[in-house]
Amino acid sequence: MAVETHGTGTLPQIKGVKDVPYDELFVSGHRTCQGCESALVMRHMVKASGPRTIVLGSTGCMYVANTTYYTTPWVVPWMHTQLGASGSAALGTAAGLKVLMRKGKIKDEKINVIAFCGDGGGADMGLGAISATLTHKDYNCLVLLYDNESYANTDIQLSSQTPYGAVTTFSPSGSKKRLMHTRWKKNVPGMLAAGHPESRYIAAGCAAYAVDLMNKIRKALELGGPTFVHTLDPCPKGWDYHPQYSQELGHLAVECGIWPLYEVMDGVCNLTGPTRQIAEGRKKRKPVYEYLKRQGRFAHFADEDVEHFQHEVDKMWTEWLIPGVIPFTVPAKDQTILKIDKKPLHEQKTA
Amino acid sequence: MSDPKETSITVEVVYRGIFQKTLAQRICRSIVLAARKRGHTGTAFARYGDSPERNGVPAKQFAVVAINDLELEASMAKYEPAVVDVSIAVDDTLVKGVESWAWYGRQPIWKPVKKDGFVLVTSDKSPDDVLAQTDTAERPYSLVVVPGGASFAGLWVFKDDHTDYRVLGALAKIAPDWVRLDDVMALIKEQTKDESAVQSARYGYDAAKMRQVKAGEGTSGHEKLQFTKPGWTTMRTGIVVDARKPGERNPQYKKYTARTLRPVVNFDTCIKCTMCWLDCPDECFEVTPEGHYEVVYQACIGCGICAQVCPVKDCIVMVDELRFEDNEDKWQFWKKDRDGYNKWFEAKSGVSADPKVRTPAARQEGSGNANPSANPTSASGGDD
Amino acid sequence: MAIQVKEREHQDVETEQLMSGCEAIAEAIRLADVDVMAAYPIRPYDGVMQAAAKLIANGKMDVEYIVADGEHSQFEIVKHACAVGSRVFVGSSGVGWFYAFEAIAVTAGLRLPVVAICGNRALDDPGAFGTEHNDSLAVRDLGWLLPWAETAQEAMDLALMAWRVGEDKRVSLPVAIGLDGAFLTHSQQIVMVPTQAAVNKFLPKFDLGDRLLHPDNPITIAPQVDQDWLMEIRMQNDQAMRKAHDVITEAHADFKKLFGRGGDNPFLDEYMTDDAEFVFFGQGTLALPMKVAIRRLRKEGHKVGLVRLKWFRPFPTQEIVKSLSRFKAVGVIDRDYSFGSPYYGGVLYNEVRSALYSLDKRPTIVGFIAGLGGREIEQPMATDIFEKTKAAAGSIKSGDMTHWIGVRS
Repeated sequence: MAVETHGTGTLPQIKGVKDVPYDELFVSGHRTCQGCESALVMRHMVKASGPRTIVLGSTGCMYVANTTYYTTPWVVPWMHTQLGASGSAALGTAAGLKVLMRKGKIKDEKINVIAFCGDGGGADMGLGAISATLTHKDYNCLVLLYDNESYANTDIQLSSQTPYGAVTTFSPSGSKKRLMHTRWKKNVPGMLAAGHPESRYIAAGCAAYAVDLMNKIRKALELGGPTFVHTLDPCPKGWDYHPQYSQELGHLAVECGIWPLYEVMDGVCNLTGPTRQIAEGRKKRKPVYEYLKRQGRFAHFADEDVEHFQHEVDKMWTEWLIPGVIPFTVPAKDQTILKIDKKPLHEQKTA
Repeated sequence: MSDPKETSITVEVVYRGIFQKTLAQRICRSIVLAARKRGHTGTAFARYGDSPERNGVPAKQFAVVAINDLELEASMAKYEPAVVDVSIAVDDTLVKGVESWAWYGRQPIWKPVKKDGFVLVTSDKSPDDVLAQTDTAERPYSLVVVPGGASFAGLWVFKDDHTDYRVLGALAKIAPDWVRLDDVMALIKEQTKDESAVQSARYGYDAAKMRQVKAGEGTSGHEKLQFTKPGWTTMRTGIVVDARKPGERNPQYKKYTARTLRPVVNFDTCIKCTMCWLDCPDECFEVTPEGHYEVVYQACIGCGICAQVCPVKDCIVMVDELRFEDNEDKWQFWKKDRDGYNKWFEAKSGVSADPKVRTPAARQEGSGNANPSANPTSASGGDD
Repeated sequence: MAIQVKEREHQDVETEQLMSGCEAIAEAIRLADVDVMAAYPIRPYDGVMQAAAKLIANGKMDVEYIVADGEHSQFEIVKHACAVGSRVFVGSSGVGWFYAFEAIAVTAGLRLPVVAICGNRALDDPGAFGTEHNDSLAVRDLGWLLPWAETAQEAMDLALMAWRVGEDKRVSLPVAIGLDGAFLTHSQQIVMVPTQAAVNKFLPKFDLGDRLLHPDNPITIAPQVDQDWLMEIRMQNDQAMRKAHDVITEAHADFKKLFGRGGDNPFLDEYMTDDAEFVFFGQGTLALPMKVAIRRLRKEGHKVGLVRLKWFRPFPTQEIVKSLSRFKAVGVIDRDYSFGSPYYGGVLYNEVRSALYSLDKRPTIVGFIAGLGGREIEQPMATDIFEKTKAAAGSIKSGDMTHWIGVRS
């Protein structure tokens, strides 16, 4: 069955900040922290998708802090879903709309379906359901993972997205153990792109690059099928910096090469923003120390911890097949396999 | 030294979520431990409804001290004490009202304080100046000002500027039957082995300025934000609430009591770049017919991102919230009377409205509390 | 299962088919014009999903059939499809049902009328396929309506009732039909399949009204609450469950009028109780061996009968009081356990005793735990149950105990 999309072209790419839609579909009067970048992601997300959107929100800051009973900041229809259920919520909603439209029970029109989850809900508990959803190519839905690198709602406990060495309430720095958390951050968009070749759009963004992010959301919704966008959201509460620096921290994460911006669209990977400039040699990566020193969660770092962090980030850029995306490559002696004959089988000469 | 006339005393600490969480914890714990030294018993706890705390959003912790365990039990079963003897606000902008992130509306700082109780505020300002921003009193109380700016820090670090010791010293002055200065000083000595910390407690005791507040004193300028909760017969089935209407902001939660600094805008230097509007997580800016962006102060939470992302120097300046009496949007003022507005802008911000004039003095940063990452910190966080 | 055509208002020809309980439910899915269903394999419930898949593959019905990555996803998918206005179906068994538990809990909280079957199966560990009711019963406090079927026919009929009652705006609660594993899910019986026209008369279109999640009806569903709100929300659920009793009664009367099936009492099925002194009480397929036993015991002169419970939630307290107060002693047979409960009894035993507590004249209630893990209730066991029940009669206190039947020592 072909993917059914509606009204292609209803969400054109935004050309610059002056072209950003003025209408607010996620309004003030939510209960997020001062300087909450995830709240900004919510605002940009629905600005990009427009009013004909249904949003499903899984448990986390953007649920608990945003929607406190008897009031709501949402203009568009919104529904809670469980921590690990963003993938299933997107799928069930999209399937419901699709069948009701097919049977003529509701008007046949394009309705965007977006389910969001935090890093705990998306990269830990709900990863399996998101993966399943990305294989259901007949349903149009976007899963957005807003990643503030901890279970920030419940008290800043570490998740699989918490960076190496960072202090959380589950990984305090103590007199015996300086670092309680020594796992490297899970590469979620890269993993999902590699594992779900039929998903037409998977991207990594950051609200500090607002237009880039909104355009990624629009591309995901325009291309249709199940799609995924992962945003890195500086969190003044858990990362411990003054709320006024949320944008700056987002910029630094990208400029230090820690959070590459990219999209994988119909099987083609494009690096975007400063990440592209770094990869093309037009911009030099900043040392990770510039980023780490701005945050209280790394205040306990010794020089060797900074060095290890830098080393791991360097590997992303020097050793990965696609910098920041595919975390392995082929042996140096086998570089020829990257130049394999890519013609269809029947056109290839026998070896 | 007399025995208490009552059987228990309840103290609340009202503070800025996350920034002062550790500070509030330390104060509440120390109250109980100091009272213990003279044989009282007690409990310290945070209001569960404030958890998870949000940066800047007002929150409360409590200390209850009683003459014995039986009297203490009566206080412990409570979710949140409805009446307190002392309310301690560790940031003076909290006197403009407290709206926690649960759905309680905006409350005057003295709301739970009993008749002839105490409101203790840390502030660089005089009691009269603090009172001028406090809601009109409904019953008499004593306003106590402990000198010092607000002590802000992040979650993982604690700004050890002796605020807690000064507050405890001041508390010993107003509630000597429960917390004695000698006990406070002995406790701090045990905890810190630091004589300067002990002296900070004495300083708080000596320097606390008290002012009697009569019913009717204070400002009536603050908005009333209170709600009647419906019951099960009128609440919609299926946990449904109406969505916000397009163009509307949430009228039932305004969030501005989270603000310690507010952005003021120099419309003359604004280049209409949209960045403040674009990057505001709280959607506080309205575009004017000329394409300027004005702050909707009812919505602004005071994070400072707009001032940070604005490419024009001093076009958006963050200013101490206590310098403002109202929450009105200011673009109309500028539109009608540019000179008048610019004078107002300069008076509030301490920055010249004319970009050609260099302002030699450092810009106003409220009580010097704007930037926890610039504060001296101790990595232990003090919460052990 | 004779169809008394004269008493039936709808005279269209029903088709007679030989089918399992699972296949009967699949037919009900077709007749109800279900929009979305989500499948995941676990025995014995998934026979329904296999049967439904065949109907879809052969063009017999148009349903979004989603094969999920686990039970949690299965139940979340249909919950969200339901919120946008789809009629949905889902199901599971045993530990699979428990894997979905979070989604099961929130579905009732959200007041979304998801219809599920629980193909009753023993819980792991150890792994076991046979029937026990602890999977269904685990959700008894959450706001799910819980009917139990005895036959394939009743399974189909209850499924049609489930959408009608659950989707009724006065109720708006999910329904989980208990289907005993193997005895009912996998054995084939003669079933009368009603016509589409008749079903359309019985089952109105699903309409969520102003709770529909759609851009034309902008609402926020299930924002976070604190202690200031939750009791009011729980109270609404309590009221819905109370109303369900009357809505079931109404639907049952309509069903009987249209199809001539369902008996006199929507909640209880009584067998040979008119002159009975002693009765067995239970739910699901254990009625079958007990009826055989009753016929045998009656030949020996014993005045014994059976009361079978059709709806465990809402628990038909008044109907049970009225029925059971007529007898000298009641043997409650639980195909479940509730370790550490009062008198170590099963769930039904304690619910029934609680319902009768305030009566001046009440029968002795004796507890029996039997047939766990799908163990067959053989005739000597039925006799044993009868004798123990009869012996306890006359003293209320004699019922303060629970007998495990057919267990090796």
